[in-house]
This record gives sequence, structure tokens and C-alpha cells, in this order.
Amino acid sequence: MPSVTTNSRPKPFLDPAYCKGCLRCVEACPKGCISPGTRINPATGLVPVEINLEICNGCGLCISACPEPFGLRTSPATPGAELEREFQIKDPSKLFGRKVVDLHESPGLPDEEIELPACEPLVLKGTYAAAIGALLAGCRHVFGYPITPSTEGAELMAKILPHLDGAFVQAVSEVAAVNMMYGAGGAGVPSMTFTSSPGFSLMLEGISYMIGAEIPGVFVNIMRGGPGLGNIGPEQADIKLACRGLGHGNTHALVLAPSTPQEMLDLTMEAFALSFRYRNPVVILGDGYLGQMTGQVKLPTHLRKPGRPAWAVWGDRSHRQNLICSIHLAEPDLEEHNRRLNAKYAEIASREQRSDLYRCEDAEVLVIACNTPARMAKGAVEAARRQGIKAGLLRPISLWPFPGDALAEAIRHVRQIIMVEASPGQLENELRLTLSHAGIVPPPIAAVRHFGGVLPQESEILAKISEFREALA
Amino acid sequence: MNVFYDHFERHAHGEGLKGHSTHYCAGCGHGIVHRDLADTIGELGIQDRTVLISPVGCSVFAYYYFDVGNSQAAHGRAPAVALGHKLANPEAVVISYQGDGDLASIGLAETISIAQMGLPITVIFINNAVYGMTGGQMAPTTLLGQKTVTSPQGRQPAMGKPLRMAELIAQLDGPVYVERVALFEARQRVKAKKAIQKALRLQMEGRGYAFVEILSECPTHLKMSPEATEEWVRTQMEPVFPLGVKKDLAVEPWFDRHAPSFSPEAVLGLSGAEPATVRTAARHRLAPRLGTKDLSLKLAGAGGDGAQIAALLLTRAAIDEGFDSTHIPSYGPESRGGTSYADVHIAEEEVLNPAAPDPHVLIAFNAPSLAKFAPAVREGGLIIYDRTMITEPPAFPPNRRVLAVPCTQLAVDLGRPVAKNVVALGALQAATDLLPAAGLLSTMRHVFKDKSSLISLNEAAFAAGQQVVDPESE
Ligand code: SF4
Ligand code: SF4
Ligand code: SF4
Repeated sequence: MPSVTTNSRPKPFLDPAYCKGCLRCVEACPKGCISPGTRINPATGLVPVEINLEICNGCGLCISACPEPFGLRTSPATPGAELEREFQIKDPSKLFGRKVVDLHESPGLPDEEIELPACEPLVLKGTYAAAIGALLAGCRHVFGYPITPSTEGAELMAKILPHLDGAFVQAVSEVAAVNMMYGAGGAGVPSMTFTSSPGFSLMLEGISYMIGAEIPGVFVNIMRGGPGLGNIGPEQADIKLACRGLGHGNTHALVLAPSTPQEMLDLTMEAFALSFRYRNPVVILGDGYLGQMTGQVKLPTHLRKPGRPAWAVWGDRSHRQNLICSIHLAEPDLEEHNRRLNAKYAEIASREQRSDLYRCEDAEVLVIACNTPARMAKGAVEAARRQGIKAGLLRPISLWPFPGDALAEAIRHVRQIIMVEASPGQLENELRLTLSHAGIVPPPIAAVRHFGGVLPQESEILAKISEFREALA
Repeated sequence: MNVFYDHFERHAHGEGLKGHSTHYCAGCGHGIVHRDLADTIGELGIQDRTVLISPVGCSVFAYYYFDVGNSQAAHGRAPAVALGHKLANPEAVVISYQGDGDLASIGLAETISIAQMGLPITVIFINNAVYGMTGGQMAPTTLLGQKTVTSPQGRQPAMGKPLRMAELIAQLDGPVYVERVALFEARQRVKAKKAIQKALRLQMEGRGYAFVEILSECPTHLKMSPEATEEWVRTQMEPVFPLGVKKDLAVEPWFDRHAPSFSPEAVLGLSGAEPATVRTAARHRLAPRLGTKDLSLKLAGAGGDGAQIAALLLTRAAIDEGFDSTHIPSYGPESRGGTSYADVHIAEEEVLNPAAPDPHVLIAFNAPSLAKFAPAVREGGLIIYDRTMITEPPAFPPNRRVLAVPCTQLAVDLGRPVAKNVVALGALQAATDLLPAAGLLSTMRHVFKDKSSLISLNEAAFAAGQQVVDPESE
């Protein structure tokens, strides 16, 4: 223990338990007050320095050389004590007691719904509709990197956001963009990006971190032809990535698949709400056609002014205790965290299934398709019905979770399923997994598939349906 | 006064001595910088406003210690995360604390691009010339000849010479203040703290981006005592990484962001929404002459032929008329000088399939598109082509109505060749009574409302197209 002295300048104090014996203070002291220790501290197994303050002048140089927060100090951490200029020895066991914590009343601030006056429907392309949906959902922070065919959404945001005192940042890469979302989302504000397949691949690392740290954010991925650079034609071959491959580790996110510009707006708006409800990213998967498709878009009755979540790292007193982090160093902690995530995924899986059924009541041939191919399929189902074939369409709107409940219901009379997709069966895999987990043996499954920027056409879907006319008769 | 937690709850649940000691090795420079930073945050009175971004590296657990808002970032991405925080809450004082692997290797793109943006954030860069957390590998700042586990013979020039980040950042236009400091002696430690203080002040005052590089000690991976490491930094590192101010601009406070607006009027106005109007007129029946409830059209031509604009005009007019309608453009390389075509659907109830592989109507502005798409037009359908540009039309399939309209010629006569697309719309209207002419014209007036000089011209073009459709043109 240092000796008790009273002086105009505070003298150092050291609890040997918090000294690592690095000796940086030894050479820092001009007076030679500190010397290497000779005895092992049984509590730490380290050798703390020894201090003799007899000739100490309180210069404080030793303190500024000490790397340990609770190593050499002038004053105890008790609030108010910092103001004491007079150095006193206190009982160490009382020195480092808990700080009197300021109790902050409910740091959360709820969202506000603000009524919108009635408006004429807009005539918008899909990417624009998603952008307007995001604005109406209260998103004012957009981060992106230009990539065809999604960029126009970002371009519109770049044009509009400055007028709303929002921020559009063109990042140095998709990797930077997703991490800006990590920051803004971690601060509790709604943020989004527009990207397309290769860019989405680059964002996956960040998405895994966001899921791990439970950060909301909306990713609009306008899928294009792959693999690699592929082309900019419409494809649906990121279904696997979005549903099964969101970066490393145990990850899932709600994946929504609009099929009209109207849904691009509606689902993007909803995506923000879901993203905050579950503190998890949400992915909107569109195809290149949908991104470019112009159509009628009706506006909602309300827009959302986002509040501030209690968990946000906002940068004020009431949120100071918060931490955004995906690290859980101890194995049991990380296992527990994964269990919590699994519970969240299970809740999403049971509550957030979405689908659209068209003429499924008595369907014997069930066509299943999402995005733009679902529209070709709808045309084909309509044409098949005119030919007297009992065809129906199940359009999954949520791809993860796959709408298994609606599917189980819809396939009761079905004798043939036809999967229509611009991918090598990625949607079919989701369907098969869902049925398999539910223990349902499906009817035979046929497929109309295209790749590389080619979409299935109505005529070939109709032809495929017609193949089964005799078998069903 | 400092802003460390009184108990390091997050350090192994704060059990035992870990509740009050760091995870750093004995004599590690990180601890000294932590103390300087904690003291400075306390002295500046910004504890509540501070958001500290922990990187990946030995300082990955900085959030164990600082009683401020904390976020832990992926490897190298701390400045991007910091930027997100700063834009979300401009009042926050955001600090990106990074080591050399994080900042100067994997995060180089983020480091440089965000420095160049110059928004007021503070980057604290710990340069100890080696990877700590992963076990002593070569860092971008490792000295030539320095042995690490991945440069066992010593770093060679072909492995890259040590990267001088402070100099690199200083020559960017974005930052206002860049300094390199050190910790190896009391005098340097005083300067280090002052630099941290200044960097934070510049942010608080909204003056800009500041970068403080701190030469630090990693006794563990240099395999030396802390004292010897200090000496090594002084004698070996300092000559390669000269200390001092690299950039210090006098800049007036400029960073002043307002809270975002959520005003419905502003959002609607910027989205191009217009107040709802009351419709009284009965709805026009869709294309009575074509006998369909879901009409598909293809408009095709060369890049500048205006096929997309005509398609959008149709779509918009149909929607204004209460129909469902879609337009899909061809895009990408095709739209750069090549063929540009548009698929349009107009449906009484709902457009099922927005593609038009076998359209009811084809409007072709050049020979390649006529040759390509005419065979696809369905039976009983209509083909309109620009007779001025296509002098030798192909043979048409039977049972298609074909109108040869001198679109370009009529537009040239009006003094505006690009109006040929509107001429074609006039012809389409006369041939099909697709939508009410008045409706189409009012949509056109609306679309061109910012270019009023074009309105009367386009009206004339539309009328010219209407008039030319007579039995003789077929
Ligand atoms: S305060 Fe100054 S004189 Fe006293 S022990 Fe520390 S360095 Fe030595
Ligand atoms: S600098 Fe601190 S940790 Fe190191 S020997 Fe001195 S008191 Fe102990
Ligand atoms: S490995 Fe080096 S940098 Fe990391 S804590 Fe230990 S001494 Fe510090």
C-alpha cells in the first residue's frame, strides 16, 4: 500500500490486483519511485510493481504511462470524487463499486403514422415504386453502389433525399454500403440499398453481421443473369442465396417476392416494418423485368415517421448503455444467442408466410411461380381454364418462409405441380424442403425453367399444363 | 475524469479481476490510448454523445471498457459503420478505432473513400507494425526486414514496403487534420493525447474529418519487453513513420444537418403524386374493334425512335382512363443504339402477363424491328409501320391488318422529326379507337407540361397520324 500523504498534487494510487507488471510506469517516473516488483500476486499470478511515494512529486507521468484503466490512477471512480483534488487512500474494495447508474425512462420512441391525402395512382417502374415505398416507410438513409438493373431506384433516392434532409451515399463498394447500413441501422434508423445479384453477393458478409447483431435494414435485389458477371437480363437465381445463403453462420431473413410495381411499393414499405419488428434484415427479390416494368401504383393511406428503438446506439444519454455487436465470445453465450435467433426464425416462419392463390379451389394442376414469371403463369392458367383444364396458380410472396400452410391447403386436389421459374429449380428446392419438413408427399412435380435472362413464356407454360390434360381426364 | 465503465461487465461477464482489467497484454499501447481517449471524452463532456466503433483486431473488445454508445464492426469496415452512425445522428460524436490490419489492409477502400468524403468523424489508427489478434502476422505497416510469422525471413520489398497511412490520408482533400503521434515516452504521450483531443474537437465543432495515427507497442509479437518495445518504436519505427502534423487546415464549421422531413406534402410532391380527382365520365370500352379484354402491343424501333416514350404515354393514358396497364422496355446494351422495343399491356381488369411475345398490335419504326416482330403478331392483329423509313416491307402473314404510315415524313413536315412516335399513336388511335382520343391528348399535355412548346406540336403530330389512316393506306 502506498503511504498516506497529503499534497497539493495528487499522487498515484495502485491496487496491485490491477497491475500487469509491464513496468511502463517504472521508466516513466523521473524520481525513481516505482520499481519492479519481487513478489507474485497470488490473485493474478503477475508481479505488480512496488511504489514508494516518499519523494513523489505528483507529476502524474507514471499514470499516463499505465495501460490499465484501473491501474495507476489519481482518483477513485466514485462519482464526485473526481473533483476532489486532495489525494486520500481509500478502502479499495469500496473504490471500484458500481457506479450510480442514471435510470433512463423508456428510451424508445414509437413510430407515428401520418395520414396521406388521397392521390391519383402513380405510373411507376418497379425500382421507382420500391424507392417511393421506402420513403413512405420513413427511410431517409440509402446506401448503394451502382449496378444494373437496380440503380434507377438509387438514382431516384439520390434525387429526392436531399430535399427531405435524408442521405444518399454512393459507397466505394457494396461491401462499404452494407456496412453503412450496419451503422445507420445500428443507430435505429431505417436504411436500405438497391442492388443486383453480383452486388448482393458482395453484401452477404455484412448481412450475416447484421443478422448476428440484430440490425434492421432492407435489401432490394433486382436479380440478373448469372453466374459471375452473367448479363443484365431477368433471372431468379438468387433465391438460394436469399433463402439459404445469407453469409456465414446461422442466418435467415424474410425474403419477399413482388410481382407488380404495386407490390414493389407495398412490400418495400412492409419490409421496413417487419425489419424493425424482428430486428433483422429483410430482402426484397425482384427480377430485372419487374425492376423495369412500369405500371399503376396506388399510394397507401398513411406514411410512417419512424420512432427510435430502445436498443439503438443513437448517441445520447438514454441510449448510452446500448451495444451493437455480433460477438459472443463464450461458447454457451453464442449457443444461447443462436437459440434466440432460432426462436425468432421460427416465429417469422409461422407468422409471416405470404402467398397469393389464383383459381386454386378446385385446381388439379397447380402452377407455382413468383415475381414476373408468376404473371406469365397467371396468363397461362387463365388460358388453360378457357380450355377446360382445372389449373390454378400459387404465387409465394414470401419465399422464406415459404408459404407451406397455403401450399398444404392448395395441393389437396392437385395431381400435378408445375414449377415455373427463371432459375435451375431454386424455388422448387424451397418447395420440396418445405413439404419434406411438413412430412407431405407431393404430387408429381414438373418444371418450366429458363436461365440467363430469358423468362418463361405464357405459351410454354400453357403447353406444359396441356401435357397433363389427358392424364387428368 | 474518464469514461470507463466502473465494472467491465462485458469482459467475461465481469467475473473476478476481469471486471477491472483489460484483455490486453502487459505493456500494450492500446491501453494507453484507451486511457487517453477515455480521459478526453470525459474532459470534453461528450460521453453521452459518443459512439465508439470497435474494429476487428486486438481492440475488437474496446466496447468492454468505454461507457459510451458502442458498435462493433466487421473487419475493416469501421469507417463505413461510423459514417452510417454519423449520418443517422449528426449530433453523435463518432469514433472509428482501428488497428493496422483493419484500417490499412482489409479496410483500405473504406478508409480512403470515407476520409475523402471528409464528414466529421474521428479515426484513431493504432499502428504497431504487426497483426496482434491473429498471432503476429505481417501487417501493411510491418517494417522492411521485420520478422513476423508470415515474413519469417523478414519483410522483403516485394511483399510491399510499409504503408505510411498518415501521409496517404493527408494528401487526400477530405480530411482537415492528420497527425502521427507515439507513446514511447512521456513527451510523446502528451502529444498523443492532445492530438486525440483536437481530432474530437474538430468533429464536435463540425469542422471535418480527423485522423490520428498512433505508433504503438505490441510487446507480445515483437517478442520484447515493453521497455524494449518502446525503444524499438523510437529507433526503428519512427524513422519510417515520422511523427508530426501531416495536415491541419483551418476550416470554419460547416457540418450542419437538419433532421429528416416526414411531411406528407413533401414526400408526395417529390414522388410526383397528384391530388385525387373525381371521375364522372363512364369508362371507355377497351379496343372494341380488337375484341379483347387484355390488349398487348409491341412498339419497336431504333434507339432514338421514341418507342419507349410512346409506350409510356399509352400506359399512362390507359391508367388515367381507369384500365390496368404495364410497360416493359428492352434495356441494357440493346437500348444503346440497337433495337429498342417496348411491351405494353392494357387490360380492362388486370394485366395477367405483361410480356407481349405475340402482340395484338405492332408499331415498327425501322426495318429490322418490323422483320423481327411482324411474324409474331397474332391473327386478326394490327401492324403499323413507318413507311418513310421502311420502303421495302417484308411479306406479312395473312389475316393481319397492315397500315403503312409515313410517320417520319409527317413529323418532318411539322418541323420535328422526333414526333414520329406521336404520329404513330395518332394512327393507332384512328385504326383502333383504343382509348378516347381526348384522354390520350390530355395525358400527353400532362406529360409534356414542363415543355409547353411541345404540346401543340405533338397535338398536330397526333392529328396528322389520325388523318392519314384511311382505306388507301392499307
Ligand atoms: S507521480 Fe511522478 S513522481 Fe510520483 S510516482 Fe508517478 S511519475 Fe513518479
Ligand atoms: S504501468 Fe500500470 S500495469 Fe504496468 S507496471 Fe505500472 S502500474 Fe503496473
Ligand atoms: S497482441 Fe500486441 S497489440 Fe494485441 S493486445 Fe497483445 S500487445 Fe497489444
